[in-house]
Amino acid sequence: MTATASPFPSNLSTTTTLQPPSTTDFQFPPHYFFPPFFTLQPVASTRSSQLLSWSSLIQSYCRHNRIFTLSLIDALDTPLFNNAKLSRRLTLRDAKAIISWMASPEGGNRAEFISTGTKKSGKSGGGEDEGGRAWIYWRRPEEWAAALEEWVERTGQKGTVLTLYEIAEGDASRREEFYGMDMELLQRSLGVCVKRGKAQIFGSEGSEGVKFF
Amino acid sequence: MFLHHLDLTTALRPSLLPEETLLFVQDAVGLYEGKFKIAQYQNGQAYLTSHRACYVDHSEPRKSSVAIFLKDVEKPEFYAGFLKSNPKITLYPKPLKQLSRGASVPPNSHSPSSATPPRHSSPVPAPPASATWVCPICSFSNPVPSNFDPALASRTPIPPCLACGIKPPTVLVIKAAIAAMSNRPAPGPPPKDTKNGVPASTSSESSMLSCPRCTFQNHPSLSNCEICGASLMTARDRRLDLPIDPVRSESPGPSVLSPSQSEVPECIKISFRSGGEKIFYERLKNALVQRKWLLQSAPPIPKPRPSSGAFDDNYSTQSNTPSAEMERPRVVGIAGLERRGIEQRQNNEAVIGSAFEDLEALMTSAKEIIALAEQFASHANLGTNDSSEASALASQSASALGLITTKDMLGTGSGSESLYVSELSRNLAEWLTDDTRGILRKEGGIVTLVDLWAVFNRSRGGVELVSPADFEKAARLWDTLKLPVRLRQFKSGLLVVQGRDRTDEKTIASLLAWLKSLHNQKPLADVTWDWQAYGRGVTAQETAERFGWSVGVANEELEMAEEAGALCREHGIDGFRFWENWLVNVPDVTIVV
Repeated sequence: MTATASPFPSNLSTTTTLQPPSTTDFQFPPHYFFPPFFTLQPVASTRSSQLLSWSSLIQSYCRHNRIFTLSLIDALDTPLFNNAKLSRRLTLRDAKAIISWMASPEGGNRAEFISTGTKKSGKSGGGEDEGGRAWIYWRRPEEWAAALEEWVERTGQKGTVLTLYEIAEGDASRREEFYGMDMELLQRSLGVCVKRGKAQIFGSEGSEGVKFF
Repeated sequence: MFLHHLDLTTALRPSLLPEETLLFVQDAVGLYEGKFKIAQYQNGQAYLTSHRACYVDHSEPRKSSVAIFLKDVEKPEFYAGFLKSNPKITLYPKPLKQLSRGASVPPNSHSPSSATPPRHSSPVPAPPASATWVCPICSFSNPVPSNFDPALASRTPIPPCLACGIKPPTVLVIKAAIAAMSNRPAPGPPPKDTKNGVPASTSSESSMLSCPRCTFQNHPSLSNCEICGASLMTARDRRLDLPIDPVRSESPGPSVLSPSQSEVPECIKISFRSGGEKIFYERLKNALVQRKWLLQSAPPIPKPRPSSGAFDDNYSTQSNTPSAEMERPRVVGIAGLERRGIEQRQNNEAVIGSAFEDLEALMTSAKEIIALAEQFASHANLGTNDSSEASALASQSASALGLITTKDMLGTGSGSESLYVSELSRNLAEWLTDDTRGILRKEGGIVTLVDLWAVFNRSRGGVELVSPADFEKAARLWDTLKLPVRLRQFKSGLLVVQGRDRTDEKTIASLLAWLKSLHNQKPLADVTWDWQAYGRGVTAQETAERFGWSVGVANEELEMAEEAGALCREHGIDGFRFWENWLVNVPDVTIVV
């Protein structure tokens, strides 16, 4: 396979620091080498199957490369949407349609458009206009929250105050999935923990700490 | 047996014998045997052909369909209907030993109880002597020779006028003969039948009989016109036909389950529930007069020899014939060939000349003209030699003439429009499934309705063209009539015609089989994907070439298969390509969460 999972340019995600290139190449699914995969199908049954395949491909690709947000326009040129070997690529419109489907309940809420400018929820089509960026939830915030709780439990850090930086970038979490996590996403996930009554967040903007019970 | 089994075509119409032509069709008819309804034969279509009267049941056409050979019919009788009683036509069979294939039945099976039909009372009348033609020169009324047959008119010599000795034009004699035959007195029921009906003579108008030729009002007791001497029999008999009919009201009438097979029924009645009886009766009478079935087994007509001056007079014709026959074999070589060619041309000239003089003359010599037309067509094709399929079809028009249902074959009742459409529908189905033409086969089993309409009208040779609206209606009837072809509408609205056995599943299967076979063929150009695993995509153009479809049809079929989930599409620079649907079939790579 020639397509290597190259690190994204830094302008892709503002808060995510660059990941070291993965040790292994991303293994694309067989669909990826089927030319019609890059044409969004008009027939409903085929289309839903295709969307599902795309959704799983995007999620596993993002997981492999530790991508938390995707900028569609930039991602169109990445191996994810552009199969150079096949010389087939997804159009921006189709990519948007796929992400929208992923963001819908039907697609399992595996994505969410990030609204810029106005502060309203990006889910309601705000991203459609900009087409810009979207969260790719290869883990949803609830799932992240569970993973964090499990990690705290496993490492015996209950009751201690952790900074967000410690969680996302610290040495202790280097081997965890959430290592290098987007700060905003981390805050959201911790918010879920707080709601569940499993944690408490202190401090002011930029220097928060969290304490798990 | 009077009622015969009837073979049906694929379109559930009577399959015609050679030389048999369809004369009339009427729906909503029922059959009676004597006074009894025949239970299984109460709703169907009546087909009148030149040889038979057929009944085809509406609900169970294969089981309950019978034919009556007109040669077995002694006489028809007409009943106009009264109050709730429907009009009927009664067919009386000939005495037993004359029935076709009925000789083994013992003659004592006649039911002696039959009170109404006195069928032995009237033997088949000889052609009336009253057939006369009026000489155009001296206006003398000459008798038509008793052996004169209109169908062979152009070949038989005609005696000259008795008064002035001028030979009449053939057309004139033919017309006179036809008129005389159609007016021939139907063997009328004798007076004792009047016990059921009103005696005809009571009606006021029958007190005077108008002469059919000069319209002079003659006294009823006269048999010949006082002025012109024409026979008055015809006029009287036609009058008598209507009121004197023994048929009674039928609605609550008794019925029998099935027609009696062994014995000769006393009569068979056809009841017309939605009209059409008058035309049926007229044509039935004509068919009985013309007796086309006699021609079927007749030896070929001896060739006339127009070059021998046969038209001088009767005597010289007779005397010339043998000598000319003797003379012919002696002319050999090129001279002989040339002579034959000349004779042939002269003969054709004579036939065409006489045939087109008059519509009736044309009808009598229709067969010859068709043969000539076919001959000319084949000559013309030899010259050009670039006959496409369509023109080949069109040149077969003559053979299609016997098949077509035209509007004038149908009754004028309220249901005539739908009857026309349903007959057209059957007609179309027969024409489509006719293996000798193989229309569907040539088009890859599927043809658009528009193309079919064009070809169909061309094959009708410019006569009795079908309007697009009727054509579409007829095509839509295939499903309800359970015919072996079907009309299909694609998503885009395109209407196509295909065989009933050709279902979507079969089409998809053949498409998939083709796509599968591409896994083993190396694509011509280098491809970037794994062609052994995925095969390749095909365009509508390729599919059309592969299956012999038109591109439009191929496109629709591909989209149909896509709709069914068997194919998926790829939108490339060169348009759409269709692939096997690996998007659904390949198991998803599930994410490990």
